This record gives sequence, C-alpha cells and structure tokens, in this order.
Amino acid sequence: MIFEHEIPEGSKLYFADSAREKRRIEQIAGDLLSGRGFLEIVTPLFSYHQHQSISDEKQLIRINDRANHSMSLRADSTIDVVRILGKRLDRNTAHKKWFYIQPVFRYPAEEQYQIGAEYLDENDLSKVLNIALDLFEALQMRPLLQISNINIPKKLVEMFDIELDDFRHINIEKLLALKLEWLTKLVYLQHLHQIDEVIATVPDVIKIELLKIKEISSKVAYDNMVVAPLYYAEMLYYDELFFRIIENNDVYASGGRYSNATQTSVGFAVYTDEVLEAKMTKGNR
Amino acid sequence: MLTVALPKGRIAQETLEIFETIFGTAFVFDDRKLILETPDFRFLLVRNQDVATYVYHQAADIGVVGLDTLEEQGLDVIRLLDLCRGRCKVAIGMRKGETLDLSKPEIKVATKMVNITKRYFAERAVAADVIKLYGSIELAPLVGLADMIVDIVETGATMKQNGLEVVETIMESSTYLIANKNSFFEKKSEVLDIYEKINASLKKD
Repeated sequence: MIFEHEIPEGSKLYFADSAREKRRIEQIAGDLLSGRGFLEIVTPLFSYHQHQSISDEKQLIRINDRANHSMSLRADSTIDVVRILGKRLDRNTAHKKWFYIQPVFRYPAEEQYQIGAEYLDENDLSKVLNIALDLFEALQMRPLLQISNINIPKKLVEMFDIELDDFRHINIEKLLALKLEWLTKLVYLQHLHQIDEVIATVPDVIKIELLKIKEISSKVAYDNMVVAPLYYAEMLYYDELFFRIIENNDVYASGGRYSNATQTSVGFAVYTDEVLEAKMTKGNR
Repeated sequence: MLTVALPKGRIAQETLEIFETIFGTAFVFDDRKLILETPDFRFLLVRNQDVATYVYHQAADIGVVGLDTLEEQGLDVIRLLDLCRGRCKVAIGMRKGETLDLSKPEIKVATKMVNITKRYFAERAVAADVIKLYGSIELAPLVGLADMIVDIVETGATMKQNGLEVVETIMESSTYLIANKNSFFEKKSEVLDIYEKINASLKKD
C-alpha cells in the first residue's frame, strides 16, 4: 500500500528552509564558478549514451524512444557534458571551463543533486581542486581533503601477489605481511610532511606517482588534508590523481583527472544533498 | 579520541581485557551503562549484530565483531586484524546419519544467517529454499520444517543433544578488529597505533 503523502525511497524532497538553503548553496557555487570563468551547461535528462560509460547497467533507469532505441535517465553528468561539448559544441565554442547544477538519477528512485565543474583539455587537477576548496570556504565549511592516486594501487598489484580488492577493502594485514619497509611506510603515510621520507624509500614507479600527490598538495593552501596513496575505489573515469572531500562519514565532493580518446580533463562534483544535510544539521544544533 | 563499538557479553569482556593489558588500566562499564569514557577511547556496548552497523555509519571508528556476522551483513568496513578469539564455525547440520545431497531438486534450509546460506548454495548452483528463523534452529529438521540447518557451531554439543551432526563447514570464524573506512584515513595514526598494540599483545599470547 502506498500512502497519499509517500515518496519513493531514495528520492529527495526539500521545502521551506531546506529548499531555500539548497538554492543558496547552488547560488554561491554558480556565482563562484562564473567568477572563475566557467560557463553553465544544462544537459538533457534523457540520454542515449550513459550505458556506454556506466559499467553497472542495473543502476540506470531505462526507457525507450519512439524508434525503440534504449535511453536512460541521466545517471552521471560528466559523461554527457564531456561528450556534448566535445562532439557538438566544438564547432560553436572553444570554451574549456563548464559547470552544471543538476540532479542525477539511479535505479530505482535514487536522486542526487550535484554541482559539477569540468575543465576540458586541462591536466592540472589543482586548478579545479582549489575551486572546490574555495566553494567550501564560501559555505563556511572545513571538511577533510583526501588526496589519492589510483595508479599507486594499480602499480602495486602489478608488483605483488595482491589484488585491487585488497585495496578496496584496505586489507593492510596482507600489505604489512610482505614485510617491505617502504610498503609499510606507504601504509602509514597520512600527512604531507611525511611524504618526502616515504618518497626516498619507494621504487621509482611508485615514486613518480607519489611525487604527483606531493606536487598537487603543494599547490593547495588547505591544512585539513590527508594523503591516502593506497585508497582505491572503483571509479567511472578517474585515471590518476583524484580527491575526496569528506566529513562525518559523508562524501561532500570528489574530483579527479580523466581522459577520453582525444583529451585529458579535470573536474569535480559536489554532492549537494550531503552538504545541505550537514548545513541543516549544524543549523539545528 | 577513538570510539570503539564492542558487542555485549564475552567478546566485550575479552576485548576490554586486551585493552587493559595494553594500557595497564582497568576499563569497566558501570552497571547498565552503555558508554564508557576514558581519556583516549569511548567504548560503546552494543548488540553483536549492530557492531558493524555502528562502525559503517561512523558512530564508532573501530569495533570488534565475529567474521560470521560481518559476512552475513556484508557492510563495507575494513577488517583490520584477526583477534583469534571467539573461534567458531558456520556449518550445515543434518539429522544424525543423513548425508548432504546437493543433487536433490529442492532443499529446505533453516537458518538465522540467510545471506551466508544463500551465497553458499548459489555458488553451488543449488536452488535452496532458505527459511529464516530467529532461534532454536536445531528444531527445524526434527519437525520437518527443513532438511538441514546452517548455524554457528562452537563445540557441536547443542547439535548433538538434538540428534544433529555437522555435515559440512561453510566457514571458520573468529572475532575481528574492524574500522570505518573514512576513520581509517582521517585518524590513521590512532587506528594503526591501536592495531599495532593489539597485534603485539596477541603475538605475546
């Protein structure tokens, strides 16, 4: 039985104070991104291409068009933003910095409002990371910044008899059991001031990737930060440096570097619902 | 400051003893209190099945829970260390003299541990009808409710007393130190410090 006032599990309802706060967060983000030279894009709710990029098709809410071609509701904004800008707008604009403020939808009724920024043809992740941090400062929040590099777990998998799943589940017993001093140091690495000592001991293939973490960290003036070189999560497209902005077990934002056939870009997404919940809870306290 | 979720009963006692050995101070919950505050730790006393939930939602940074419960719940938490305590196994029990025949077209299994059971039979491509019970599992085969049970076995005495015997072990279990994923990165030095101390204390044993 469905009650008259019931809304599907996973869907979002904001009204009065929460709706106003959501609008305020989006307004602050929009103003900040516009001020940094980003143009706004609103992509279609319906997409033909999401299934090409989202590996777990079960997450898509699928429907068919008039010719019975498969379509789905937008489950990820970056995919369509990059594709549309790359293929279609290319002829009309050479602009590289774009932002969107729109929700994504996952099966069966998961709604998630996002604020995202994509800097196309740009290799330096710090250019968008600093904007994300400025946004949280504008929102008067100081969550934890985690910087990781997906290449480090991938290279360790090539070097040892360990699997990516061991990193996904942070199976440190297995890593420590290898009894390698540099690997143990890598497990313990948490703060930027420790990184040089670790860099000095690791093999060159890992050193290259750790230096990337050090380099981006040095471009960020933010002290609530950890480096997590062994963090691994299955991600849609990030292929090197990436970051998460977290607090109270919630991920407020994540971003990273990604590549398609023709270009490397950087971008991030803020998860508005989590940020809003934190702001509203803090307000209530 | 780390928050530690402990299951009520024997495991909480054993874990507090480990902490007492490490820090050389007594950790005792006041009568009926569910929170114990110390300068470096806040201990929470929760139901065994709720430990991983507290840790998953970061109401606790770390916790101690049986591997069987972790496997059953499937929550995404870090398994830091096998504490080698509370050893038991999850096993299939049948009436004495009966043998496990997975080729039967329909198998009825009674259990508290629905997910572990479903996974075990699914991996063997067996269509099992899993019946969830909350207690007195051993009764099910005796009254024809199920062909077999999947249950926790420590010594096997309870099964034996009820005319059942273990025909197959699904998994071995012991208690694990677990951690919340975000806590691990946020408070890594504290988490790894307690990991090291417990590990050293276990090795001494």
